[in-house]
Amino acid sequence: MALEFIWQLPTSGDSRYGNADKHRRGERASADHPYSPGVTDPRGTSFNYLDHLHEIAKATELAGFEGIRIPEDAQGDEPWILAGYIARGARHLKILTEFEASWGSAVYAAKNAVSFQRFTGGRLAWQIKTGGDTQQRRTQGDFVQEQDIHLRIEEFVTVARGVLTQSPYSFKGRFFEVLNGGFQGPLGGQVVPPVYLSGVTEADLALSANVADVHVFDAVPVATLKQQIANLKSNADEAKRKVSIGLRLDLIARETENEAFRDATRYRNQTRQTGSVDALEEHLWGGLTTHVTGANVTLIGSYQQVSAALIAYAEAGVSSFLLSATPHFEEAYRIGEHVLPLVREHFQPQQQRAA
Amino acid sequence: MTIDIFWRIPTHGEPSSHRSKTPHRGDWFPGNDRLRERGLVGSGEDGFNYIDYLSEIARAAEISGFQGGLIPSFPMTDEPWIISAALARETETFRFMIPFQPGFLNPVTAARMTASLQRATGGRALYNVITGGGGPAQLWWGDSTGHDDRYGRTTEFLDILQGVWKGGPFSYQGKFYQVENAGLADPLSREEYPEIYFSGSSDAALASASKHADYYLSWLEPFEQLRQKFDRVKEKTHLLGRKIKCAVRVDIVARPTEEEAWDEVRLGFEGLSKEAIESFGRGDGGDSAGAARQWGNRPATINSYKDLIFEPNVWSGFNLLRGGQTNGIVGSYEQVAERLDQLVQLGADAFILASTPHLEEAYRVGEEVLPLVRGTSSAPALRAVG
Repeated sequence: MALEFIWQLPTSGDSRYGNADKHRRGERASADHPYSPGVTDPRGTSFNYLDHLHEIAKATELAGFEGIRIPEDAQGDEPWILAGYIARGARHLKILTEFEASWGSAVYAAKNAVSFQRFTGGRLAWQIKTGGDTQQRRTQGDFVQEQDIHLRIEEFVTVARGVLTQSPYSFKGRFFEVLNGGFQGPLGGQVVPPVYLSGVTEADLALSANVADVHVFDAVPVATLKQQIANLKSNADEAKRKVSIGLRLDLIARETENEAFRDATRYRNQTRQTGSVDALEEHLWGGLTTHVTGANVTLIGSYQQVSAALIAYAEAGVSSFLLSATPHFEEAYRIGEHVLPLVREHFQPQQQRAA
Repeated sequence: MTIDIFWRIPTHGEPSSHRSKTPHRGDWFPGNDRLRERGLVGSGEDGFNYIDYLSEIARAAEISGFQGGLIPSFPMTDEPWIISAALARETETFRFMIPFQPGFLNPVTAARMTASLQRATGGRALYNVITGGGGPAQLWWGDSTGHDDRYGRTTEFLDILQGVWKGGPFSYQGKFYQVENAGLADPLSREEYPEIYFSGSSDAALASASKHADYYLSWLEPFEQLRQKFDRVKEKTHLLGRKIKCAVRVDIVARPTEEEAWDEVRLGFEGLSKEAIESFGRGDGGDSAGAARQWGNRPATINSYKDLIFEPNVWSGFNLLRGGQTNGIVGSYEQVAERLDQLVQLGADAFILASTPHLEEAYRVGEEVLPLVRGTSSAPALRAVG
């Protein structure tokens, strides 16, 4: 089974080494001089955070990842725009774009996807989020009831896939409809964006069983994950579908275990996380970097330990790894140079990874 | 205040001249959107595809002095949001005019996409708000909302866009959209609100435009009819205590001499089939008032391209050659510039021009015609050198 390693674009900000504060690197929203008056700063307001995000995309590609994920964050820049923005700078990456089904018309989303696929050779993938609580969703103009969220996602995916693959195509549901739609000619036959969904409730698993290509779990100890995967698989078998397994995970990987725990502890202190560590396992901490990366769980250890853990997850059934680490630019190189080769070597000894 | 002049990005492929539908550029099959055909920059197998051609046009337009370009969106085209984001870093001053129908996007999503596009381009995104032509084409998009309701929806959409733009918190209970404590997050909320060009010819459209639009955009119509339309729009808007400007979207065929320009039209017309000419101006089942205003002029029989000339330097058969509106300006560089100035006199404050092929013609029109346009200046325009 082919493994894919997907890095992340931190859409609402990032941290630096030894400095856990979240901020947008390179952002020059105002002309405030960040240097002391005695030092020249030539930038003015020339650059903003998007320039840095573009660098992260290129780093992700150069470091050998298969893809990059653009998370949906109400505080951050919009993922579809960022996807287009980095598409030509990172010429081979799968671009996993996250959004909610309240985005707009499913046909319009599919149509935008068509152009994206035409321009990138089919590299767009979709991650559809169930969204926040009712209050949060209302701030995004979404008044759909909680109990209808999964149905809306299912209809969205059904309609999008329908117009992408059939013409004429018609559908009438509760949330979306189309009459004699469908893309033809040069717009037809484009790669359907693989759909990534997530969650652990029965409704989440049932939805993925019906429509997902990949179901993404938050990292948990391997034994627990195996149970979750088995649960998903039984749902998928009932729906007569195959769903691949993804894992969402932050990394603090260093040359030595000591360095890794030193940095993890410093991060905790700088972000004023008090009380005991939420350790799912010795090397697996919950909630450490969530406010920056969105990941609920962080894996901490030496390159050997981290790659061994990833290998164990892969052997348990994970094929998509949705990874992140702060700072995202430098860590793309670190993980790409020191961790991924160890994992790939284990599964494909003596072979170069296909370009 | 000076006149803004935009170009156009052809999102549906194009022929390499007005004279014939082939050779063509892009992978659309000329005359049949159900098929696919490789034209120049259409194969994708060599790593290049249609976006690379569009990138060239955007660059040509900005180098030649256009403000930017309209990027049309229809069922058979590529899509402007993606094109704009992809070309953000390949252009410096090009302003991306994005047409979209408010019914297709959640207004808060649209606000975030726009603000992020402003951040990606340094403030170069603007809108052309369109509200659709109704009929089967509308249902193709999955939109069954009726004509006047669609304009009501557009108004609500723009109300919310404006409300959330500077950060809110903004709440709104509309017939089509609701938001509660909404607002763009910092630093998205610091971006400049996009200029809005607004299209639509019906009374419902004018009502919506008067409230929100910066520019009321019209196709070219008979000049006197257009003057009255612009006067009506400006008066209606004035009653709401706002100012609105007017813009004309028009194709042009400009050459060193008038004869050469009409030759392009004549050769294109002579290449048409009898069936194409016969079905010309017969309507498409939609409810667009603008389309009706174009086709009202159809003569009973059309034997020559000259039968479609109703005003000096205006040809009313462009729809036959490449789809879209029927009227276009044809003449020498000086004549085309004069017609544009005439439109300025009757109330146009901006233009969206285009010609075929969009790449070479961006250079030609930018280099030869634009310097001759006086716009709002009373001084004689520059004469082209040589």
